[in-house]
Amino acid sequence: MILEIKIAMLVLVIVCAVASITIKDLLGAAVVFGTYSFMMCLLWVSMAAVDVAFTEATIGAGISTVLMIAAVFRTTRRTKD
Amino acid sequence: MDIVMYVLLGLGLLFFTGGTLGLIRLPDVYSRLHMAGKIDTMGSISLIAALFLHEIETFDMAHLLVGLKILLVLFFQFLASPTACHAMVNACLRAGLAPWVKDGQRSDP
Amino acid sequence: MKRLALFTVILAGVLFAATASEFPRLGDPDSAPSRHLSPAYIQGSLPQTHTPNFVTAVLGDYRGFDTMFETAVVFLAGMSCFFILRALRRRGLTEVYYYRHKPTGVVLAMLAPRRISPRTSCFERIDADWTPQDMVVETMCLFMVPFIQVFALYVIAHGHYSPGGGFQGGVLLAASFILVGLSRDLRTVESLLTEKTAILTAAAGVCLYAGTGLLALFFGGNFLDYGAYASFFGAAVPAARSMGILIVEIGVALTVMATLVTIYKLVSSRGTVEEGL
Repeated sequence: MILEIKIAMLVLVIVCAVASITIKDLLGAAVVFGTYSFMMCLLWVSMAAVDVAFTEATIGAGISTVLMIAAVFRTTRRTKD
Repeated sequence: MDIVMYVLLGLGLLFFTGGTLGLIRLPDVYSRLHMAGKIDTMGSISLIAALFLHEIETFDMAHLLVGLKILLVLFFQFLASPTACHAMVNACLRAGLAPWVKDGQRSDP
Repeated sequence: MKRLALFTVILAGVLFAATASEFPRLGDPDSAPSRHLSPAYIQGSLPQTHTPNFVTAVLGDYRGFDTMFETAVVFLAGMSCFFILRALRRRGLTEVYYYRHKPTGVVLAMLAPRRISPRTSCFERIDADWTPQDMVVETMCLFMVPFIQVFALYVIAHGHYSPGGGFQGGVLLAASFILVGLSRDLRTVESLLTEKTAILTAAAGVCLYAGTGLLALFFGGNFLDYGAYASFFGAAVPAARSMGILIVEIGVALTVMATLVTIYKLVSSRGTVEEGL
């Protein structure tokens, strides 16, 4: 795969990872975490690990985002720290 | 065939560019979702259709099967993304977000 | 505390960067695993197990123990969520059920012991935070569900030839149930896959996996050696291995599906599987 696209994906992974732990809004953090998982999935595809990418796309970007949003919906949306 | 493919690619990129610009520049949630809907439907569908045309350029069984799968992706994209957009706009309306109006005009949410 | 966490993270990052320089490059043909281990799997999986996708072969057959205990871990995660989150008896909370008269839209609130039988057709039970259902979203989501399930079955059964397998297919099946729950309400999911059925299904998946391994002992093979089923299936040893991988993947898919649906139900309804997202 083209090197520039790989570098852009890596930068996006890092940005999403930092953003998802610094955002105060927990719902936004859950959504950004979903984006992070999807970027990781693209990165796995670029490394030709399609099975891992499939698992990451279904579990990371799909189910875990839903579970986190459900948990936020049932608890609170603001962090304490 | 090639010309159609390039036109579709250009159209998709045009929609992506305009949609991204609108997503950054537009004032409120409804107009931004409007632009997101443009990206999701028109942009993606043009790009996927271009991919399909590129795939069936060499016409045999294997390429046709992959092309059919790409067409299925297009179909579900076409169904799912307007639904997601609609759900988001609906939730915004339920949450009581007022639409943006120009200065000096009456806002009626 | 925060400074300590930052220090730990930076230390771990520096250590990782220092060790990462020693790793072989991605796809380096001279590195130790690429010389002995990978060629054995890549060249051996098709003649030994009739499975062109050697990731599935490694997961299901060569490293069958790992996958079995991963399945057990998924099942245990579901059970822990059940025991931690499930509110079996709600003391001190007055339970109010809301019923909506369908023709007129009048809503009745009823205290806990009294309830309207679901057989009376003109009343429907609604959530406390119910809003009028949106027809577009509900119709489209319910339209998508069968396609998702068919794709999930394809992923499970076609895992030998293309990317996929039990975990992914099970997650997709769970996603279809969760989509029903999101577009309608939790009670529809509960009527499709009750809590008891879900937990029994999860246990049955683990038992299917372990039982497949155990049954191989009675056919004269080792534990999880599906080649022993060759006489039972009336096929050659590699074909029997392929069949064994398929059975095992079905077990994994059952466990993952039931566990994820259970966790979703518990998380989205505060432990009472009554009113969900």
